[in-house]
Amino acid sequence: MCASVKYNIRGPALIPRMKIKHRIYYITLFSVVLLGLIATGVFQFWPHSIESSNDWSVEKRSVRDVPVVRLPADSPIPERGDLSCRMHTCFDVYRCGFNPKNKIKVFIYSLKKYVDDSGVPVSNTISREYNELLTAISDSDYYTDDITRACLFVPSIDVLNQNTLRIKETAQALAQLSRWDRGTNHLLFNMLPGGPPDYNTALDVPRDRALLAGGGFSTWTYRQGYDVSIPVYSPLSAEVDLPEKGPGPRRYFLLSSQMALHPEYREELGALQAKHGESVLVLDKCTNLSEDVLSVRKRCHEHQVFDYPQVLQEATFCVVLRGARLGQAVLSDVLRAGCVPVVIADSYILPFSEVLDWKRASVVVPEEKMADVYSILQSIPQRQIEEMQRQARWFWEAYFQSIKAIALATLQIINDRIYPYAAISYEEWNDPPTVVESSPACTHVSALGTVCLSASLASTLLLVLEDYSGVPSSEKWGSVSNPLFLPLIPPQSQGFTAIVLTYDRVESLFRVITEVSKVPSLSKLLVVWNNQNKSPPEESLWPKIRVPLKVVRTAENKLSNRFFPYDEIETEAVLAIDDDIIMLTSDELQFGYEVWREFPDRLVGYPGRLHLWDHEMSKWKYESEWTNEVSMVLTGAAFYHKYFNYLYTYKMPGDIKNWVDAHMNCEDIAMNFLVANVTGKAVIKVTPRKKFKCPECTAIDGLSLDQTHMVERSECINKFASVFGTMPLKVVEHRADPVLYKDDFPEKLKSFPNIGSL
Amino acid sequence: MQSWRRKSLWLALLASWLLGLLGILPLLRLAVPTGPRAGAPQGWPRWLDAELLQSFLQPGALPEDVPQLPRVPRGGSCDWGACFDTSKCRSGGFKVFVYPAAGPISEMQQKILASIEGSRYHTVSPTEACLHLLSLDAPAGACSLVPPKWNGGQNHLVLRLHPASCSGTFQLGQAMVAEASPTVDTFRPGFDVALPLLPEAHPVRGGAPGQLRQHRRVAGTDSSACPWDGHCEQDHGPEQTHPGAALPNATFCLIPGHRADGLRFLQALQAGCVPVLLSPRWELPFSEVIDWTKAAIVADERLPLQVLAALREMPPTRVLALRQQTQFLWDTYFSSMEKVIRTTLEIIQDRILGASAHPSLLWNSPPGALLALPAFSTSPLDFPFYHLQQGSRPAGRFSALIWVGATGQPPLKLIQAVAGSQHCAQILVLWSNDKPPPPSWPETAVPLLVIEGHRKVSDRFLPYSAISTDAILSLDAHSSLSTSEVDFAFVVWQSFPERMVGFLTWSHFWDEAQGRWGYTTERANEFSMVLTSAAFYHRYYHTLFTHSLPTALRRLAEAAPPCVDVLMNFLVAAATKLPPIKVPYRRRHEDASPSRVPGGLGPAARDCIDRVAAGFGHMPLVSSRLRLDPVLFKDPVSVLRKKYRGLEKP
Repeated sequence: MCASVKYNIRGPALIPRMKIKHRIYYITLFSVVLLGLIATGVFQFWPHSIESSNDWSVEKRSVRDVPVVRLPADSPIPERGDLSCRMHTCFDVYRCGFNPKNKIKVFIYSLKKYVDDSGVPVSNTISREYNELLTAISDSDYYTDDITRACLFVPSIDVLNQNTLRIKETAQALAQLSRWDRGTNHLLFNMLPGGPPDYNTALDVPRDRALLAGGGFSTWTYRQGYDVSIPVYSPLSAEVDLPEKGPGPRRYFLLSSQMALHPEYREELGALQAKHGESVLVLDKCTNLSEDVLSVRKRCHEHQVFDYPQVLQEATFCVVLRGARLGQAVLSDVLRAGCVPVVIADSYILPFSEVLDWKRASVVVPEEKMADVYSILQSIPQRQIEEMQRQARWFWEAYFQSIKAIALATLQIINDRIYPYAAISYEEWNDPPTVVESSPACTHVSALGTVCLSASLASTLLLVLEDYSGVPSSEKWGSVSNPLFLPLIPPQSQGFTAIVLTYDRVESLFRVITEVSKVPSLSKLLVVWNNQNKSPPEESLWPKIRVPLKVVRTAENKLSNRFFPYDEIETEAVLAIDDDIIMLTSDELQFGYEVWREFPDRLVGYPGRLHLWDHEMSKWKYESEWTNEVSMVLTGAAFYHKYFNYLYTYKMPGDIKNWVDAHMNCEDIAMNFLVANVTGKAVIKVTPRKKFKCPECTAIDGLSLDQTHMVERSECINKFASVFGTMPLKVVEHRADPVLYKDDFPEKLKSFPNIGSL
Repeated sequence: MQSWRRKSLWLALLASWLLGLLGILPLLRLAVPTGPRAGAPQGWPRWLDAELLQSFLQPGALPEDVPQLPRVPRGGSCDWGACFDTSKCRSGGFKVFVYPAAGPISEMQQKILASIEGSRYHTVSPTEACLHLLSLDAPAGACSLVPPKWNGGQNHLVLRLHPASCSGTFQLGQAMVAEASPTVDTFRPGFDVALPLLPEAHPVRGGAPGQLRQHRRVAGTDSSACPWDGHCEQDHGPEQTHPGAALPNATFCLIPGHRADGLRFLQALQAGCVPVLLSPRWELPFSEVIDWTKAAIVADERLPLQVLAALREMPPTRVLALRQQTQFLWDTYFSSMEKVIRTTLEIIQDRILGASAHPSLLWNSPPGALLALPAFSTSPLDFPFYHLQQGSRPAGRFSALIWVGATGQPPLKLIQAVAGSQHCAQILVLWSNDKPPPPSWPETAVPLLVIEGHRKVSDRFLPYSAISTDAILSLDAHSSLSTSEVDFAFVVWQSFPERMVGFLTWSHFWDEAQGRWGYTTERANEFSMVLTSAAFYHRYYHTLFTHSLPTALRRLAEAAPPCVDVLMNFLVAAATKLPPIKVPYRRRHEDASPSRVPGGLGPAARDCIDRVAAGFGHMPLVSSRLRLDPVLFKDPVSVLRKKYRGLEKP
């Protein structure tokens, strides 16, 4: 009893005292429960992990074991391809539906072996390349195994090469696919269309509405915006290891390496060679090779033997002539060698021509003009040739080098048609990646994802960059696409909105408001009240001004509130001004606005600052002395476009915005970085230097404080430069003054006389 | 003793609860069936014998193929290689012959004729022409005639600005068709040209500027989509070029896919409203060269709600880019009949040029292909407009081009001043005088070259191959500049390589009293032109001046020398849409009167600006109210701190 009282003193006695016997009983009970639960848990979780890794546990199968489907002789045949098909007529877009990721879903039919009535197979079950292609699709984000959710269907019936299949029976096999429905939303891949004697330029298998990704389309069979023109894959891409060769002059100017050419073409090429001698090389099949040499890998000119495709790297231009078919695998080899293809195949639709700009990587010559080919090519300047060589190689790397690249590019093109608002841009398809740093080569993103850039291309690109090298790394100029690229001078009538950030200096604030309100082009004044502990003064106390005045109270005392894109800002121009900047005259502010109108994509401000490279410390330094250069303006008084408020608030790289708010400093430097980085342009400093009530120096004056301030500001520059990965600020030696400033001209006739005076 | 027991009991209880909770979750999952189990996606199987599969190219199959010569094109089908003969165009350049009207001609046709006849492509001889142009917009009945030099339609371009006019009256044969809003089914890409559907009252020259110029709204402020059947806030702005057709004030404009809606497409473009085309059955205008994905969205009409949802979610950055692009395209290719026709001809010329045609960038970014001539270069790096996009910048040297006119004194002092600049690469003296140039010239640190001109004023703007730098400092023998002035002006030019940077300025004004343009050489608070007697500009403008100005305008310059300055300024302003830049210039005693035009402007000169403006069809000049000075210019600080001390002298 005594003990129980003790328990009561110590705390609630939820468990009554028990005897040892009971205790053992309880412990056993709990152990049993515990073990049971553990067992349940294991039972629940274990099987899942086994299932999810079925990659290695599932039994591997052979292609020979796939189910056999017997096609009755009278089973239906689809209609021939419908030449008038377009995405909005023949494609069932409802199957694709709304998709937050804007990615189509692709289903692959399972592999079957089709035989006719008498048991003869319709075609080879599947080729190596088609297996690779389906594997690539299956491994991609597009793949779904749920036939009901799929938007695009890919039959596993291999039609890559028309010569390996029986046309009628293949068509019957297509028609009996479970979701065939006249071929709607079905995608067929074909690289070698047509057959002897007349070699059609599109697959002859009747396919009704099915989309065709074909390797040899001509303008007459290609359904623009519906079919996809793809390359003919060259197996040499995988078989041969060909180290890359950078652009530049090569031994032969023009080379022809194709073996099966029409005699008439060969004659013309021979004539070219006779006329231009050494610089033209026409190769042919080798006739006198011993049996064990792979004839595909050798080419001959008279008795000289050349290795193929290595010889392509010796030529600047390589002829790609039509053979029996328009699409030639040699195009892929040529691109890979960085040789500029000279395509002589009238009406040929070049691979992926819907998105790739072939003008940048090839020369297309009409067949009739074959005799002039040499002079046509010679008129191309060397620099452009090198650009084309680089581009050709890039096309191969991104879209030709593997079956996977071909498959993904095809799906991306179809995807872009279905989700046009999320489509990949011309630049993403066509611009070779630029090398940012000397980083490992696999970080470059092409339209289709990560692409490994070979080392030598990377080094040439780096070399290009180094041409522009200045002193520190900042001088490497990256390409920018200015968000305000349209050269426009906004109308003066629009005026500007002044935004005054204030905390509690009411008296000074009111003076600023009164001064700013004298500026003719002011259209609205916005006071951002950043003090949460104190309410702004009553309405009646505010100065009476001629434009609307609006006070915005903020939720938190943050510097970034100054750059928030408030709905109240209705003008393009914004004047950011501190609540203690009272020394600017109305003329100066009005002139600043006029200057901004001429440079609406820049920061236009009054006090200018400079960043310098400190060679001793190897880092950036902030400079506010009287220098001959400027690279920043303080946003204590600066005009800029409202759009930059949006960028500052939502698109500031890294953690800069939070960092600035946490340190309560450098918001102006951050804005300078942001604008310079996105536009690639320098600031404009307006009007002569004035004795500002040094916005840097805080309330107390003193050298030591000033110095710590400078150190802090320098730190900001270094921090931001590392976040941006570059130094975007541009240094200039000019400032803007009124046309007649300090000119020998009557003062009263000047538009802005009151400038620079104190 | 008891405490550890208690603790262990507590622990056991806690553990059982925890495990109970953990255990219930999976039990619940077991109890409640979650529909058909998804399981892991069953991908394409990894075949055991994948390595043994045969290649689709059976070994040896391909080389054995029987090569064939191309078949003759099927009836009615033509493409560029088969149906166009480029041999004529290579020898004589790109010349266009326009069939004179056989009967009464429509107003539209008159405009077309006028705009081509004024262009540098025009020829009156059908035999030397590379392209024959036939307009099929004549009133019914007049279009059944097959023109005399028809030749099966080869090298003919048939213009059909209205979809309905004269269709199928005679076999077009091998002729190309430039048609307004052609249907996708009959359009032959790479051969035909898709034109915009133009309203009747489309202006010949100039044309109304895009509406965003009036109110450029910032992205994100409104994202309303405006269906054309009415339900959107319509702002009947001041800019109404088509009577009865208000320009929509919306961010996106939904345009149905019928051919007749092509008109709305153009209106949307002008209004800066991003066209959202719902399954268009017609080819977008100039789709061969214009990248419409940058300015419009082609969507599927069957999914209107999804399209709207996607538009609403589009990031403001993209919307802003799309809207600006609509304005650029409108102003560059569509705003006037002349631009439409010139673009058509430029497309055909690009096909002839092949590898030396405009790269896509030149077509799709300002100032556009009509003002960026591939004859100058096909590399964007060479032009002054694309440095930012290309991540490049102009080189750090300039060439001084000194024009010595009638007075004929070698400008020795000027040569010394210019050669003193650290940025000067070479000095070219353009000797345009009856007297022979003096045999000896002063020793300079940079090479000096004398070119003999033909005593024509426009000679000074010929694209001399001797000019080796991007920057040109154009000078007159009379000009006097100091090395400081030259140095600073060049540094400024490097920041603005597409503009003219000059010392002396003129400004233009609208003369209300006479109802015409005028200009003044007086010093004023603003300016819109800089004198080429002392100005930096890009070498490209010499090519542009020589190759793109209509001959009539160049003749004007010959008649009145000050007019070259006006012309050059017009040209640069039309290309950049920006004012020139003025840098400080210390007035000297000797040039109290403007150097080039002693005694003020003659009547021909005064007339000049109005006639040039008429030739351009609009007034491209833009005024500026600022001058760029060195950062410490005339600041109260020691002169020793300043870099450009020469400018500080009073």
